[in-house]
Amino acid sequence: MRKAIKRIFNSGWLNFKRNSYLSFGTTGIMALVLLLFSGLMVLNYVSSQIVSGLQDKVDISVYFKNDSSEDQVMTVKQDLEAQSNVALVTYISKDKALADFKTNHAGDALIQQSLAELADNPLQASLNVKAKDSTQYASIVTFLEANKLRSVMDKINFYENEAVINRVQSISNGVGNWGLGVTLVLALIAILVTFNTIRLTIYNQKNEIEIMRLVGGSNWHIKAPFLIEGGLYGVFAAAIATAVFYPTLWFVSSKVGVLIPGISLLGYFGANFFEFVPLILVLGISLGVISSFIAIRRFLKV
Amino acid sequence: MIKLKDIFTIYDDDFMALDSINLEIKDGEFVSLVGPSGAGKSTLLRLMTRELKPNQGEVLIDGVDIAELTSAQVPLLRRKIGTIFQDFKLLSRKNAFENVAFALEVSGAEPDEINEDVPKVLSIVGLTDKAKNFPHQLSGGEKQRLAIARSLIHRPRILLADEPTGNLDMVNSYDVVKLLMKINEFGTTVILATHNREVVNAVGRRVISMEKGKIVRDQVEQGKYII
Repeated sequence: MRKAIKRIFNSGWLNFKRNSYLSFGTTGIMALVLLLFSGLMVLNYVSSQIVSGLQDKVDISVYFKNDSSEDQVMTVKQDLEAQSNVALVTYISKDKALADFKTNHAGDALIQQSLAELADNPLQASLNVKAKDSTQYASIVTFLEANKLRSVMDKINFYENEAVINRVQSISNGVGNWGLGVTLVLALIAILVTFNTIRLTIYNQKNEIEIMRLVGGSNWHIKAPFLIEGGLYGVFAAAIATAVFYPTLWFVSSKVGVLIPGISLLGYFGANFFEFVPLILVLGISLGVISSFIAIRRFLKV
Repeated sequence: MIKLKDIFTIYDDDFMALDSINLEIKDGEFVSLVGPSGAGKSTLLRLMTRELKPNQGEVLIDGVDIAELTSAQVPLLRRKIGTIFQDFKLLSRKNAFENVAFALEVSGAEPDEINEDVPKVLSIVGLTDKAKNFPHQLSGGEKQRLAIARSLIHRPRILLADEPTGNLDMVNSYDVVKLLMKINEFGTTVILATHNREVVNAVGRRVISMEKGKIVRDQVEQGKYII
């Protein structure tokens, strides 16, 4: 068994080596295909970062009447935190709200003077609520409306923000759906290009395959070295794609960072190097082996 | 024993390639199959390697109808039969040694056996010093001798030669025929399809003449090329 496997690998490697022009062309095209996949991964990462950045900016605030007690606010906070669709609830007391307001308007003498003249703190305590998903805000509001302490709540600013939240949601969905659609279409094109390239490579050797059949080669005996050859295209293509991808990333990462603050392509793909490279390698080998497997079938009918 | 019973073979364009063929070839015979181009000689050989199935009739080898073999059994049949072709059908990306070795590898031979047997058979056909040459580096005669070496390596009981001298000059043609006769002396059944009159007359064994898909003459002994 070990000898048979060794023979298959040797034979596949010899085919790859002796067919150098075809191997070079096929490997080059597969490397381009893998770079396209890498590009799609970059695109998905960037769009998901943009979407999550937008979603982070969305929240709702619940303002409490001035006569509500801190215990009542904390009860509502605990009720909210118990909800599975709530990501974070932040309590902003009346004093904190006033301090923040003063800080935010530190340069405005009129506001500072007006505040000094007021006997009481006019600002309300509030709870700032972030949902795990921007589609969940409506159900959180429904929960609040039905809460036993609804009477101590003054207003919920969801209704003012509803249009913005819906817009963010629609952009998120659009980016998600279009991103998935574009990824699937480009992935399909990439697979077809690889398949056709390998099919042409094998077509070029159809006489050899026919001869192997005529001298008594079984299907697997003939097929296995071609599958190894297909896998080798994948291995070399993955190596080339990686060697091109990371230097390109290093070059463009800072420019993308300027355009879209908070995104570091090199940081992300650098941190995930040991996930990215095996993924590209497995993808390359799978594309090569599966394409060879399908392409060779039609030439084995002699 | 090879037996063909009531064989009809019609190609897709309705051309009747074989018409009512009945034939028996005993073990160890040397049979020359002669006739003009299109007579059906190659079609007959292709039936014996299961490259083709007859539209009607049976092709029996040792009593087994090979048309009934499954696709997994066909390679096993082909390992029992050596084949030589006019266009050599060598593997262009393998050198002489590897071309011969491939026929042994497919029958599951161990590397030690391959390394022992391949040089022996290359020596029989006079190609010892060409073992590392690729087919494009060999002359026509050398290519055909390499094809013979490949067909012999698994010690086949039947050797089918389809116009093996078609691309060779007289000297190389005689070399090839001498090799085939030598192989036959060791007990292998040889079926030689050719339209080379000199070759057939030099062999002087059983001669089956074909025309338009039919057997028109069967000279069992001391046959001559007659059309």
